[in-house]
Formats: sequence, structure tokens, C-alpha cells
Amino acid sequence: MFFHNFRYSLKILTRNRTLLFWTFIFPILLGTFFYLAFSDIEKNETLDVINIAIIPNDSYKNNKIYNEAFKKLSDKKNKDRLFNIKYIDETRAKKLLNKKKITGYLNFEDEDIKITVLTSGINETILRYVIDEVKSEETIINTLVKNEAMNDIKKGNYNIDYNKIYMNANKLLNSDDIKIKDISNNNLSYTMIEYYTLIAMAALYGSIISMFITNYYLANMNSIGKRVSISKISKFKLLFSGLLSSYIIQVFGLLLLFLYTIFVLKVDYGTNFNLVMLLSLVSVLAGLSLGVAVSVLIKKNDNAKTGILIGITMLGCFLSGMMGITMKYIVDKNIPILNLINPASMITDGFYALYYYNTLDRYYFDIISLVLFSAIMLVISIKSLRRQKYDSI
Amino acid sequence: MENVIEVKNLTKEYKNLKAIDNLSFNVYEGEILGLLGPNGSGKSTTINCILSLLNYQSGNIKIFSKKMEPNSYDIKKDIGVIFQDVAVFNELTVYENIDYFCGLYIKDKILRKEYVFDAIKLVGLEDFVKFYPKQLSGGLLRRLNIACGIAHKPRLIFLDEPTVAVDPQSRNNILDGIKQLRDNGATIIYTTHYMEEVELLCDRIIILDKGKIIAEGSSDELKKNATTVEKITVELTSITKEIIDKIETLKNIDDVYINDNIVVITYKKDANNLEKLIDLLKDNNVSYNSIFSERPTLNDVFLELTGKDLRD
Amino acid sequence: MTVFKTFFKVVKAYRGTIIFYTILLIVFGGMNFQTNDNSMTFTNTKPDIAIVNKDSDNPITNNLIKYLKKNAKIIKLDDSESKRNDALFYRDVNYIIYIPKNYGKTISEGKKVELSIKKTPDYNAYLAYIMLKRYLKVQNIYTKTNTDEREIIKNINNSLDNNTKVKVMSKLNTTELSNMNSYFNFASYSIMAIVIFIVCLVLSGFHEESIIKRTIISSMDYKRYNRLILISGIIYTIITWLVFTILGFFLLKETLFSLRGLIYLFNSLLFTMCSLTIALLVSSLLNNKNAVNGIVNVIALGSSFLCGAFVPSSFLPKSVLNFSKILPTYWYINTNDTLAKLEIINLNSLRNVFSNMIIILIFILVFIILNNIITKYKRKIG
Repeated sequence: MFFHNFRYSLKILTRNRTLLFWTFIFPILLGTFFYLAFSDIEKNETLDVINIAIIPNDSYKNNKIYNEAFKKLSDKKNKDRLFNIKYIDETRAKKLLNKKKITGYLNFEDEDIKITVLTSGINETILRYVIDEVKSEETIINTLVKNEAMNDIKKGNYNIDYNKIYMNANKLLNSDDIKIKDISNNNLSYTMIEYYTLIAMAALYGSIISMFITNYYLANMNSIGKRVSISKISKFKLLFSGLLSSYIIQVFGLLLLFLYTIFVLKVDYGTNFNLVMLLSLVSVLAGLSLGVAVSVLIKKNDNAKTGILIGITMLGCFLSGMMGITMKYIVDKNIPILNLINPASMITDGFYALYYYNTLDRYYFDIISLVLFSAIMLVISIKSLRRQKYDSI
Repeated sequence: MENVIEVKNLTKEYKNLKAIDNLSFNVYEGEILGLLGPNGSGKSTTINCILSLLNYQSGNIKIFSKKMEPNSYDIKKDIGVIFQDVAVFNELTVYENIDYFCGLYIKDKILRKEYVFDAIKLVGLEDFVKFYPKQLSGGLLRRLNIACGIAHKPRLIFLDEPTVAVDPQSRNNILDGIKQLRDNGATIIYTTHYMEEVELLCDRIIILDKGKIIAEGSSDELKKNATTVEKITVELTSITKEIIDKIETLKNIDDVYINDNIVVITYKKDANNLEKLIDLLKDNNVSYNSIFSERPTLNDVFLELTGKDLRD
Repeated sequence: MTVFKTFFKVVKAYRGTIIFYTILLIVFGGMNFQTNDNSMTFTNTKPDIAIVNKDSDNPITNNLIKYLKKNAKIIKLDDSESKRNDALFYRDVNYIIYIPKNYGKTISEGKKVELSIKKTPDYNAYLAYIMLKRYLKVQNIYTKTNTDEREIIKNINNSLDNNTKVKVMSKLNTTELSNMNSYFNFASYSIMAIVIFIVCLVLSGFHEESIIKRTIISSMDYKRYNRLILISGIIYTIITWLVFTILGFFLLKETLFSLRGLIYLFNSLLFTMCSLTIALLVSSLLNNKNAVNGIVNVIALGSSFLCGAFVPSSFLPKSVLNFSKILPTYWYINTNDTLAKLEIINLNSLRNVFSNMIIILIFILVFIILNNIITKYKRKIG
């Protein structure tokens, strides 16, 4: 009997196109949309060469420090090249600025430099910082030269070799020995969270499958449920074989999604494949148990229940960052208690922990949370299912 | 005759409505029992209580002389139920649907295959074995619904309005099937509000209203109890108060209904009523388009008992 | 009247869904809103950084922190490495600077100390980097030539104390405009979803065979009947648009009633109508009520993702944008984005806007024609 029901449940589920769309096709489509929309976001974050213009008047031409600095900063051979510089007059520079072809232009007026930009912004700030830095260097050299000269004078040496002092100061300035050590983790691609929420969504959409199949075993929900209830098989036997088939279908669907995201969308799930699998299996369990609970506890028709499950799933995914990655961080930081009741966040966080963290504490915490969530859902459902007679049908 | 079902003092209340009121009756082996009643009279509720799907406040229900409970699987294995709503999987074909439900009872695959084909033959779906429910007409769907309920050859069958919204051909097919099931030895409980079916099919009839039995017996017995014995319908070319008054003076008349030019006269006693009426009309020079006499139907009995039409 | 009533019965039955999409618009359209800071004067973009200071109270260290505080936004985080890692991952901070024990003391002795940092791979982190580098460079130089702490600090601060003058040319209030833009861009999703969802449900209801039969035998003339459905659809669509306009007024206030805002509104009206024609086309192609939800999601989500309703179109890959030109949403959003950047509004500067609107009109026409062809074809088959 167990196998009989299992076999037919598989048939029923695999022939329901609406179900298959939501659990198989929709996550893949959404993942593709994510990929198309987000693939360049992080590339955009890395620095491009900034286009600027300099008005090549006499003040500029006579300023040795700036000449050299900009030559260096726009040198195509320099790997730290920052600027692409056009030397044009002010009217043309203005035109280019209005068309947003350049970030800004520099105007040298006697001792001072004026930057003209369109609006405030990051590139504009970088431009200003660089000018500030060159200015600092100017000040430094002046200070150093002055100090050195003063020292010489103090020592009674009036025959000051300014050229030598200047060279020394310049050497000091360019002895680039700043020591900054980058100890950040390489896995910093936050768009990965999008795909993790996608997996969470797919796993939780599995609840629609289990809700659908569970409804068939409830006499108060469904006419087939009545027919099944008066048969000579216990409800639990039916329920567990039905759930087993839902589980297998859902695992298969998730596997497809994994293959697609790994090989086509190039999603990075970290290096520990076994743990990724464990997390997925537990996630599917959580989704299924959610579906059973909604099916058993909520006395509404199929469509309403589907609506409720989609609602729960999407709200959960929203809180774990699907519609804006920051949301997950805000919840993690300010209302972490919400994560203890949100299975979508447990799943997302589990993948995040595998991808970004070196230790597994956080991952196992998520796994345990999911197992507990599933257990609670199932216990509540079974308790309610034990009551075999209904007050009304 | 052996009691297949014993219902004793069954009472079922919804929040503020007494759906079944101290109901007691038996069902005997090999009979087709008709449960008759208007919508909301408690037919389906009674069946659901017997099947232990519903909680009830008080009462005793025994099937095959054993107390019926949700876990009485040894009783359940011999029961087949066809509910009002079509209960089949849209994702499975005709064959698969029947095989699925049959498989909940019959483990042996070869035997099951045989049973499934028997059921298909019984309801006449041989040409539609590989069809999906969506491809079937309403009548064929009802037949499939029945096949799913009886494929495991149960000894006791509940049929809850199996012919609602069914075309005549399918209905005849279904009724023939039900007779065949009885002939094969099954006991059948049949609820409907189609009078003709009950008259045609049922060995015994229980009429329910507001959760109570208001009459019980065979079709003929019920009709005998009725006060009306004859009903004459006459269509007059023109109608006057005078002639109506004269008709009402005739003997044995129970009541006279007038609807446009049609006059329906019911009689308490059978005594050449038609002849007398025709004479009366002739004497008064009243012409008529048609006139005919009928014996009362179960519907008239029902109307008399409840004041309601069954078909409402 | 019956047609109209049925239409709004469906609307009422699915009000939950409608409210859901509207709330999405408020939450996500509004989430990107920035608080208004006057952008007429130049303000440095300040990277978000966190400082982990293990050093004791030391003037050299304190001066570094003072400098960082002045030039960056310091984010206070709980003192745990996992909290800091999270903050970095979600870009709450772009740069974390770890100041080791005895940093200040070692530096003032003229020795070198390595600073550890963690950073995000983006502009802001680069900004933080050149800021820090500039300071360290200056600090290096003065510790090499000087030993007196106070002298070093004085020299450092002197050398760093210069702020180049920056002139801002744009007269636009970019904050208000970007808020309006993000509202209208996101609205494309909500409008599309609500219009297609409801119209398809209503029409697939009307198209259902039994109802078609009933209407054909009813006294109402078939053409008149179709016209009535269309009119109710248009009325529903306009009401939807009005609701979003009113909502927009609450969120955007008087910005909406500038000439620019009115063009935004007109653009959205055009787009709403276009959504209606898409809905008509989809419902003609569709026989299955259950599929409506799926199709709405694919169409609305798809065009929103691909055309830049969620992610600004400037962040989308070129190839995606080239593809999405076949979708009306692209032209709608392109108009919005163009409007947000226009310095002056006159016939000349609006040329691009007008041509986009004409393209949407062409889309509307194409959808109507396709719909007619399909319904004719289907009626013959039936």
C-alpha cells in the first residue's frame, strides 16, 4: 500500500503543470533574471579610469609638481593609472562635462586650483582627494626644504644646495613604503545572497507540493480526502508515502536548480559540497513540513492555501534579502530573533556561512534551526491529524 | 434479514442547528435503501456520521454488527462510497484513477487489474480508459466517480446523489450499474432527490426532513399512506368563477389548484372521478383542450408530508 | 452594466493581491529614497569605515583617528569579528582598519608598523584607501625627519590641511529627482503586475466556454459585449493609474507637479495603457486560469529585471539592455532616466523623451493588432 500510494503520488505531482512551474521553472527563471540584472553590479563597483580635463594654461604648465603628478597618474603603463586626461580649453571642457563625458575639469589659477564638477559623487571625490594629495606633497616638500635649510643655517652652513635638498625631499616622498596589509576574505560577492535566497525560495515553494498532496488525505478539505479517509488504510501511512514522493520530487527540482546556478549562472557555494547537500536536504524538509502544517491547520481552499504559502515564502525571502540584500543585514543586526522563526533566513544564512565563514558554528546553528523548525511543524500537524473525526466537513 | 447497518438515536448538532435529530433506522442485507429528502434535510450528514467522518453528539452506529470508528479498518475494507462531489485526480487517467482507489484495498496486482476492468465495464467506460477526467463529459465523469468507489467490490455501498446533473444516457447506465451491484449481493444506500430513480430502484425508502424520519416504507406503502389518490389536470379554454365553484362541489375533492387556464384537482377517494368531471364540464358547456388523470407520485407524498417540493 | 459589475467583483475578490503589489511599491520604491541634502555645494563622498583600536591613549594614534573621523563616516559595530565580517559583506562598512597595540609609540620611535585592513572590492573602499594612504605617507615622512611627537602631529596636520575648491555646475536637485525616478521605475513592476493579473483573470473568466455560450445567446450583441469588456478594462486601468498617481503625490509631494513630474505622469499613463494591451493579448492566448499567476510573474518580473526597474539600468550589462529594447518597459524606464538627468526642459531636450513615447505607442498598436488577429483566428477554430 505504501508503495502503491507513493507511486501514484509521484505520477500525480509530476503531471501537475502549475506545481511544476512554481517549483521547477520559476526559480530557474528568477535566477536567470537575477543573473542578467546583477552580473555587472559588482563589476561596476571596481574602479574605472576617470575621465577628466585640464585647461592647459600657463599656470599649469609652469607647475612642475602637478605636471609630474598628472603625467604619472595618467600613464597608460602604470597599473595604478587613475585618470584619462584631455587637455582642452574651458568652453569645450564645459560642454563635455554637461554631456557627462568627463567627471570634472581642473583650472589652475595662479597659486590655486579650481575643480569644476557636475554633482557630488564618488569619482568627483576621488578627483578632489588626488588634487588634495598632490597639494599635500607640495606642502611637504616646502616644509622639508624649509626645515633642511633651517638646519643647515643653524649649523652655520650658508651655502645651501637647494637642488639637493629638493631631490632628497622628493626621494623621501616617493619612497612608497606604506605598509597596509589586506586581511579580508576573498569571498565578498554579496550578490551571492540573491542566489541563496533563491534556493531558499525554491525549497520553501516545495511546501506547495506537500500542501497539495496532504490535502488529498484530509476529509474536511477535499472530496478525494473523504474517499481516502473511508478506505482501509491509515491516514499516516498515506501521508508519509505521499510526503516521501513530494520530498523526492523537490530534491530533484532543487538539484536541477543547483546544476543550473553552478554551471550556467556561476554561483559560488563555497568549497564544501557535502555540507551544501546536507543544507539542501534539510531545507527541503523544512519546506515540506511547512506545507503540511498549512494544509492541516488552515481551513481554506487550495488556492487560498497556495496564496498563503507563496506569501509566507516571499515575506521570508524578503526578510532574508531577496529584494535587497541589505534587508538581511538589517534583520541580522537589529532583530535577529526574526531569524529564529524564518526558515528562508535559516537557509540563506546557512549558505552564506558556508561561503563566507571559515568556521562552521554558524552553519550548524542554521542546520539545527531548520531541523527544529521542521520538527515543530510536523508535530503540530500530526497532533491535529490525530483527531480523525471532524465537526463539520 | 441480517442488519448491515444499525443507527440508534443519532443526534448531530452544528453550532446552532440540529442537523440530525434522534435518528434511528436499520439497513438490511441485499436491499437498496433510498434516503430521500430536500436539500439540507440531513442526508449527507447522516452518511458522514455513519462513516465516522463526522463527530456527533450522541447515538450508536454499528456496521456489520460492529461499532464503527475511524480506525475500524476491518469494517472499512468492505465499504464503498460515492460522494456528491466528483472525487478523482485530474492528473490521472480513467484507468489510473480506478486503479489508485482500488489499490487502497486490493494489494494483489493481478486481481486488482481484473477488478478495475470489472468496474470499467460496469459503468461503461471501456472506450475512455486512457482519457483524463478533463476530457470527459459530466455524465462520464460521474460514471468514473462511481467506478472509483466500487472497484474493490464492497459489500456495502453508499451513493450520495450520484446522478446530479447527468445526461439521460449516463443516468440509465448508472442506474443499471447500481441494480447490477445489488444483484451481485451488495447492500446499497442511495440518496437522491430524483423521485423516479427512487421509485425505480429502491426496495425501501426513508424520507428525511429537518433531520428526522417522516415516513418509511416501500414506494407502494408510502403512496398508500397518502391522502391523495388521484390527480386530474384539465386545461380549459376559458375559466370562470362559476365553473370553479361548480367543480368544488364535486365529491371526494381534496383541493383545487388554478394556474392560468389549468386546473389541478386532487381527490381523496378513487370513484370514477374523471367521468364525473367530464360530465360536469359537458353539462355546463365548458370546452377544454386536454384532460388527464394521474395516480399520485412520491413527489406528491413528499409534498403532503413536508409542504416542500423535492426539487427545490 | 453586468460586464462592468463582474469586472469589479473580480477586482474585489483579488484585492489582497492588488494591495500586495501596491505595498511592494511603497516599500521598495520608497526604500531607495534618499534624505534630501542640498547638493548645490560640493560634499565629499565619505566611505563607511570601522576602526578597531587596540592601542592605548596615544597622541599619534588619536590623531590618525581624528583624521579618519573627519574624512569618513565611522560606523560603530559590536566588538566581535563576526559582526565586523558581516558588516563588510553587506557593505555596511567598506573598510576596516585594525590599529595594533603600541602603534603610536612605535611610530613615534621612527619604526614602521604594518596596519591590517579589511576592505570591500569597490569605489568606496578605494576612497578609504587613498585617504589612509595619504595620511600614512605624510606620517612616514615626518617621523623619518622628526622625533618630537607634538612636532610630528603639527606637521602632519599642516600638510593635510588643504581643501581644493570645487565648483558644482548642476542646478538640479538630484535627490528629489532620483527619488521620483526610483518611484516611477519601480511602479512599472506594480502597474504591470496589477493590470495584467486582474485583466487576465477577468477575461479568462469571460472567455470560459460556458459563459461565452451564455453571452452569445443572450440578447446582448457580441460586438457590443466585447466593447463593454474593453471599456471596463480601460476604466480599471485608469483607476489603477490614478491610485498610483495619488500615492506618488504622498511620497514625492510637490516635485510631482512640476513640468518634469507631469511628463513622468504622462509617461506612466502611457505605460499603464500599454500594460492593458499586453493583458488583452495574453488573455487571448491563454485558456487556463491557473496559469495567470505564473505568466504575470514571468512578464512583470522579467521586464522589470531586464529593463532596470529594480537595478538601475546603468548597472545592467550592455547585452541585456540591447535585448530589453524589445520590451516596452525599456522605453518607459529610459524616458524616466532621461527626465531625471535633464538640466533644462524644452522641446529640443525632450526629443529623446518624445521618440520613446512614440515607440511605446507603436507597441500599443502592435499588441492591439496582434490581439485582433488572434481572436479572429480563434473564433474561426471554435
